Amino acid sequence: MNAVDAALMVERLRVEFPVLGGKPKVAVRDLDLSILPGEILGLVGESGAGKTTLARAILNLPPPPGRIVAGVIQFDGKDLLRLSERELQSIRVRNISMVVPNPRGELNPLVPVGEQLASIARVHLGKDKSSARAMALEMLRAVQIPDPERRMRAYPHELSGGMAQRVVIAIALMCSPRFIISDDATSGLDVTVQAQILELLSHLARKQGSAMLFITRDIGITAHFCDRVAVIYRGEIMEIAPRESFFLSPRHPYTMLLLAAFLHNPQLRQAWTHPDASLRVNPDAGIGCAYTYRCPRAREMCHTIRPPLAERTSGHFVRCHFPLERE
Amino acid sequence: MRLILYIGRRLLFIVPQLLGIVLVGFLLVKSIPGDPAVLMLGPTATPDAIASLHTKLGLDRSLPVQFWIYIRNLAHGDLGTSWQTTRPVLEDLVQRFPATLELVSLGLVLAVLIGVPLGLASAFNESSWLARIANFYGLGAGSLPDFWLALVLIFIFYTTLQWVPAPLGRIDLSLVPPPPVTGMLTVDSLLAGDWSAFRSAVGHLILPALTLGLINAGPILKMTQSSMEKMLQSDFSRYEVLCGMPHRLVVRHALRNALPSIVTIISVLYGFLIGGAVLVEIVFSWGGAGQYAVQGVLNSDLYPVLGFVLFSAIFSLFVYLVVDLIYFAIDPRISH
Repeated sequence: MNAVDAALMVERLRVEFPVLGGKPKVAVRDLDLSILPGEILGLVGESGAGKTTLARAILNLPPPPGRIVAGVIQFDGKDLLRLSERELQSIRVRNISMVVPNPRGELNPLVPVGEQLASIARVHLGKDKSSARAMALEMLRAVQIPDPERRMRAYPHELSGGMAQRVVIAIALMCSPRFIISDDATSGLDVTVQAQILELLSHLARKQGSAMLFITRDIGITAHFCDRVAVIYRGEIMEIAPRESFFLSPRHPYTMLLLAAFLHNPQLRQAWTHPDASLRVNPDAGIGCAYTYRCPRAREMCHTIRPPLAERTSGHFVRCHFPLERE
Repeated sequence: MRLILYIGRRLLFIVPQLLGIVLVGFLLVKSIPGDPAVLMLGPTATPDAIASLHTKLGLDRSLPVQFWIYIRNLAHGDLGTSWQTTRPVLEDLVQRFPATLELVSLGLVLAVLIGVPLGLASAFNESSWLARIANFYGLGAGSLPDFWLALVLIFIFYTTLQWVPAPLGRIDLSLVPPPPVTGMLTVDSLLAGDWSAFRSAVGHLILPALTLGLINAGPILKMTQSSMEKMLQSDFSRYEVLCGMPHRLVVRHALRNALPSIVTIISVLYGFLIGGAVLVEIVFSWGGAGQYAVQGVLNSDLYPVLGFVLFSAIFSLFVYLVVDLIYFAIDPRISH
């Protein structure tokens, strides 16, 4: 895959969080990732794996106090990490947008949602006041908010969680961006609403032809929506593969654990958990494999040599010295 | 409609609130040691004379009875008589309260004009030179005593530069004060079209008001800075940045969210300064209500103190009502 084809390409991205009087904590470790135009890439990992940090770092806004210390983010022939604040402003939402979790906390509590949508159209699409409002209304309709005329005047606290999520999706899709990041967009919603929202989001993204990085903790969701699936563990991609290959022949021990957990299969889960490691952490991250201390298959070399993300079969990359063989 | 109901309910509660405040004030003043009869008659008074004055003043009755009598008189608009000025307290306060109000209001306006912009500037950019000045200023304003600053200002602007009239009272003694309408000399002189009186009143007002302004800009600055910083780091501000909104717009939205806490600190200062400006009043011989009340406390003069408590309580309740209405206008969440 080369830079010209990809909608967005992350190269050797490293994000660190300073630690008072110690070595900084690495949240995203020299990560490479590229996403094709129109592709939906699922990114799965447990909390603290660096999913949100990665998502925000792509927009050059790592969550404070995190800092991007190295890397390149190729988009549209430019490196987003080397653009001025003003240039970034014109790309955010306009070309790369983000669907955030917990949207009721993310929307400005004192501004009616219609106005928040309309201001996006005014700022990024140069619309005048009335056509911006018309567009906002149209977007509320597109995300299937009931009674959109009335909701235009509603304040965020007057919306349900599901409706607020739809508003955030409307904002993310408003400018038909080429790239959408969905960061755990449905975490706070109940299951039926979750399914509707995801259906809507992927439907609209496909309709617009936007590529999407779909971040979630729920590996099951990715089976429905994603063209490719990646697993992230402690800031590193452990496995990345086209959907069929990923689910039919998972290769990484951590992926197996995630799948076992998703299937609620205790035997399988036990088989893929290190016998005496409930949640041990590799004290010397960066030298050996990050997963060694939880890995039931770990051997001597796993502690000393960091495995590369290697292509095992076509398009199926695994970061493991001893990946599972196809059965 | 909901607003009118709300205001009505608030006004309804004002009477019991005031009664409570007067009761507490009454008990506190009564608990101050000192016998007004002894102070009034002087050191040579006989016990008989003191006893008869006690009866005359009603001091021989029980505390609840005394309080009941005070409340009954209050209902008829009688706030009692000050034995020091030998005038009805209501008359004294009507004259002096506007003087304090005028001073404190202008002082607070100056404090807002200094504190809010500096606070905003330092919240935008923590490393700018303006932010450093603001930090230094916030420290200084919090630690300087107001009467000392008043004396420094007098030294600079009166003694040395001679830009302002002598710090004695509210207007030149040689001038005839304008006929009282509001009791505030600047306003009254404008209403009367008396320019020389207006100039003199402003000249007298500017230094004490500046003193209050410079001192009280400190807390306003700190509050503006901290609530603005909090809002700029909040999820919704970060989301607006994420959405590529221009800095200007993000700041304006954050300011709207920070406004309630800024308004709160201003209103608290306003109520506090009615009595809290007393040292500045003394330095400038202002003859305001705070000075009047302190004299009352020092001389066991009960009624001026209670009258002052009542006046400032009414004023504070009014300020808080206005503040609640401002919240109403700013934040749609409150009206639900």
